[in-house]
Amino acid sequence: MTDTKQPDSKQDEAVDPNAPITGMDYFMKLEYHELICPVVREFADALMEKRLIGHKCPKCSLIYSPPRGYCPICTVQTTKADEIEMQTRGIVTNYTVVTPVQYYGQEETEPFAKVSLQLDGGGNLSLQDLPGVPVEQVRSGMRVEIVWAPDGERHVDDVTNRSWGSAEGAIRGWKPTGEPDADPSEYSDKVF
Amino acid sequence: MSSQAAAVIGIGQTKHKKKRDDVSLPGLVREAAQRALDDAELNWTDIDAVVLGKAPDPFEGVMMPELSMADALGANGKPMMRVHTAGSVGGSTALVATHLVQTGVHDRVLTVAYEKQAEGNAQWGLAGGRSGGMGAGGIFAPWMRTYINKSGAPEDIGWKVAVKDRQNACKNPYAHLHLPDISIEKVKESPMLWDPIHFLESCPSSDGAVAMVLTNEAGAKKAPRKPAWVLGTAMRSELGTFPGRDTVRPQAGVECAHMVFDAAGITNPREQIDIAELYVPFSWYEPMWLEGHDIAGPGEGWRMVEDGSTQITGDFPVNPSGGVLSSNPIGASGMLRFAEAALQVRGEAGEHQVADAHVGLAQAYGGAAQYFAMWVVGSSLDAVGARK
Repeated sequence: MTDTKQPDSKQDEAVDPNAPITGMDYFMKLEYHELICPVVREFADALMEKRLIGHKCPKCSLIYSPPRGYCPICTVQTTKADEIEMQTRGIVTNYTVVTPVQYYGQEETEPFAKVSLQLDGGGNLSLQDLPGVPVEQVRSGMRVEIVWAPDGERHVDDVTNRSWGSAEGAIRGWKPTGEPDADPSEYSDKVF
Repeated sequence: MSSQAAAVIGIGQTKHKKKRDDVSLPGLVREAAQRALDDAELNWTDIDAVVLGKAPDPFEGVMMPELSMADALGANGKPMMRVHTAGSVGGSTALVATHLVQTGVHDRVLTVAYEKQAEGNAQWGLAGGRSGGMGAGGIFAPWMRTYINKSGAPEDIGWKVAVKDRQNACKNPYAHLHLPDISIEKVKESPMLWDPIHFLESCPSSDGAVAMVLTNEAGAKKAPRKPAWVLGTAMRSELGTFPGRDTVRPQAGVECAHMVFDAAGITNPREQIDIAELYVPFSWYEPMWLEGHDIAGPGEGWRMVEDGSTQITGDFPVNPSGGVLSSNPIGASGMLRFAEAALQVRGEAGEHQVADAHVGLAQAYGGAAQYFAMWVVGSSLDAVGARK
């Protein structure tokens, strides 16, 4: 399936209508279904029950969420026995504010933020959204809590095997709790 | 592994610019390769094998370009391969070519790397066509913020690197950006792309290619111009994401640096290296790599920027060519570092030549700072020893 719609990506070049055509944008689209591996399936099923789970490595205690079924550092397998339920409150450890340079297929038109979180009780998540929070208010140290998609709307169709950034159907994002910001000593060095 | 000496005897690059609409993809790589052959005074038939590198195919939308480029690179009937390690690919491609010589597999190897970004949309390519793409800057911005917070570096360090590299680029006729009016004020006033990175603290999007001819000791002795001797090589990788990863000082970068220093006999990089070409696509990566490769101590990298040490006239010049901040044909950007370091120790860097450059370090990184490739080149096989 192809789509030749022109993206607005070359606005910095004046177009001379008489210039010879030297190129055309030609975008491809490929739709496919991904087979979800069993541990990610368990993660997705838990999201439907408004639970956030991870695997804690029995050797080094690092927490992987979504679980991978193994700890790549220790190269040991992790199983259901290593599953933990994570808290749904935490601290923004770091953030990016992206000013979108429009490309075809991108829906964002205004600056948007993605944050990394350290959850209370352990575990880190990256590439999370703070919907409704103006980007200039996003900062490290903010205390936030999860915003689940409401019952009936919640789905996990977009959960893939490729880690975070794809669970928006279940988690709308995170919202400030209004508590005082955490001290940097509680979260520094935790980009992931 | 038994190993013999390898040297660079030919270097060629294209003029890097926003859009090379005067040449096709094969035309672009051929232009750089022909210049490298001319520099070595060799013909296409003198080449035993071709090693090509570029970044992900979606950047131009041309899949497996190595198939159709075999003709343009005179590779028909010869061994040819394509290397891929994301942004570090130019570096790892040069190293694969070097290793083919060092192991005695081939006598003369042509290595080429390119990108023609104007033919595609790198943002679209990086995002896999999906919404929510953050761009490379969006991924690296929090890591730079962490560096700034940990090191206590003043905010103008990034601006200073941006100005220095663009001033250096004005001395390099091949560089994409020539911004003679660059100033701290202009960098600081340019739009914020990914806090803390301003527009002028970011690399451009370029079309360009670079090529080198590598040969063994016998070949180097016959070369018409001074060779650049390869004194050490190293590649390392690590996981791009895992909880607790030190993104400011990735372990693979530390290990790669120590491996290349050991291979070259370097015990004090700050003293024994005369010039470094480091992969700095965003200004803050200059101090981050100086520390992340143990050239500077913790928190000392930004001081080298502040006190002018990394300027072309400083005691540790970094990116006299203008670096990735001035020319970024992504797949070629890593090999440009390697080629520029070689040009320096050959004494052939022209207006951006560093005085008395005998030992040069080149580095490229890629992915989520998870691939590293480095080499040390010298004006002689004993260049490091002569430095002690």
